[in-house]
Amino acid sequence: MSAQPETPTAEESRRAGRPLPARMWGGLRHFGRRSPLSAFWGCVALLIVAMAVAAPVISPYPPLKSDFRSMQKAPYDEHLFGTDQIGRDTLSRVIHGSRTSLIVAFAAVLLGTTLGSLWGLACGYLGGRFDIVSQRIIEFLQSFPDLILAMAIAMALGSGTVTVIIAIAITRIPFGGRVIRSVVLSLKEMSFVEAARSLGASNMRIMLFHILPQCVAPYLILATTHLGVAIIIEASLGFLGVGIPPPAPTWGNMLADALNAGIVPPWWLVLFPGVAITITVLAFNLFGDGIRDVLDPRLRGAV
Amino acid sequence: MYSYIVRRFAFGGITVFGVSIIVFLIMRIMPGDPLTAIFGPEGMTKLTEAQRQSYMEELGLADPLIVQYLNWILDIVKGELGRSFFRAESVGEMVMRRGPLTAQIAILSVVLSWILGIPVAIISALRPNTAADNTARVISITCLAVPGFWLGMLIVLGLLFGFGYRAPQTAGGAGLFEDPGTVLQIIIGPAFVLALGQAAYIARMARSSLLEVIREDYVRTARAKGLNGRLVVSLHALPNALLPVITLSGILLGFVLAGSIPVERAFGTPGLGYAMFTAVNERDIFVMQNLVFLYAVVFVMLNITVDIIIAWIDPRIRYQ
Repeated sequence: MSAQPETPTAEESRRAGRPLPARMWGGLRHFGRRSPLSAFWGCVALLIVAMAVAAPVISPYPPLKSDFRSMQKAPYDEHLFGTDQIGRDTLSRVIHGSRTSLIVAFAAVLLGTTLGSLWGLACGYLGGRFDIVSQRIIEFLQSFPDLILAMAIAMALGSGTVTVIIAIAITRIPFGGRVIRSVVLSLKEMSFVEAARSLGASNMRIMLFHILPQCVAPYLILATTHLGVAIIIEASLGFLGVGIPPPAPTWGNMLADALNAGIVPPWWLVLFPGVAITITVLAFNLFGDGIRDVLDPRLRGAV
Repeated sequence: MYSYIVRRFAFGGITVFGVSIIVFLIMRIMPGDPLTAIFGPEGMTKLTEAQRQSYMEELGLADPLIVQYLNWILDIVKGELGRSFFRAESVGEMVMRRGPLTAQIAILSVVLSWILGIPVAIISALRPNTAADNTARVISITCLAVPGFWLGMLIVLGLLFGFGYRAPQTAGGAGLFEDPGTVLQIIIGPAFVLALGQAAYIARMARSSLLEVIREDYVRTARAKGLNGRLVVSLHALPNALLPVITLSGILLGFVLAGSIPVERAFGTPGLGYAMFTAVNERDIFVMQNLVFLYAVVFVMLNITVDIIIAWIDPRIRYQ
């Protein structure tokens, strides 16, 4: 045997000694090997995010600029996705639509899942009457189909980006509350919590410093799996006229515009925004599935 | 069994009560005055203070909130469900007129989703991880990502350009049994679109539950005694595997009612979903308040019904 049995194995020291970027790269490669399909769609999701960030640079025209020489033209070399009734370039509007869509989806899921998770943490850890009342309220919130609750809230608050984010976020709260609560219920029986308590840690301290870090994996899984739903709800709200109001381009309100334009909407105004929604949702759904499988295979089906 | 049903309905009653409070709060306490919602911000500035006051009183919005809430509940009990601000018809009448179409769409879509989903699940479960299974998985994942209302728009466009066909826009108030041809033409499109998303969930769920059941001892026994494979699956494994699928289908039915709002808009179907779309665009808070409540109650009732059906089929549940 080697002279120094105390030292970590070569493999371990190599891993720990590597700089952070290398370790992240290793993690990514692991992810790619575990689920190549998810990794591919993860890349697509990244591309869509990049498209949203770089929207003003890569879109050929400003999204609100009307080209009066070509109104409602089918796709041709100058306007690859055609133009709408008032001559705005569909390609530019689809690219800019990704911005709104992603901002709303990320913000809503982040807000809703975070609030829900903190609520679930409090419910699970504190228990008692607070938990019973909270569970009832969560049940009431879950008695609405997502879209209807979001519609009602968005209508009551009046249309706008912040409104839509709040409306979608509220529909995400129950999921966070339920899942994190059940995770916390099992965590709080563990001996490390007992140890912390015997050292005299306060409830607040145990919740924030001992239990909360353990909830990160389920939290990430929840957040990524709900991105796709959030995008669909945002598009539906836009389509129903309670989303982000025109002229700001969103995929949902572009489809609504196409339908309002006349009895027979031009095919290019219908096709492209919908393809954008489908690819984005597909990418985020599959990426989320991959994240879930890698982070915690036991949660398969639970979230 | 009876005590289970009673218990389930008692809990359902509490939930409906909570739901009514949430709906009321959303519609009243949210920032902004209900009149702004009705007249729009520009219309509001044109109203004088006295006019505002009289409108508020006329609509019953000047009363204390608790009185408004009780009046609303009274209204629901009477079956009126409030009045639209823009139309003569009460919401109750509107639901009676438009509701059946949406209900037919929902039910037909559930039937279609089983027809589409279950065979796919059987094929996938009998040959897991083969090309057929993978194809089924890819298709179902795609179906979950496609927004139904967009698919609806594509179908309408495709039929129009390809065949010059457009579904009738109204059945003239005729029911499914009086004028099946027209009504079917109206409901088949939305029902199909809504069925695809459900079929994807059902295929996934039925596949995993079949895979579990097929490994059970009693299925092996059935095979061992020489029963042919097809009979083992269809008579022994499938009935047990379908239990979770029934639960799922019931829950999905509730989501279909919500999903039918944009889908009915896309097809121009004159159902309740379209009424909801109109109400939300006109910011007709009384119609919205009642329709949202109605949808939530139907959703709760569906969940209770599914629980009872499952308990009736599977005695293990009702004794828990």
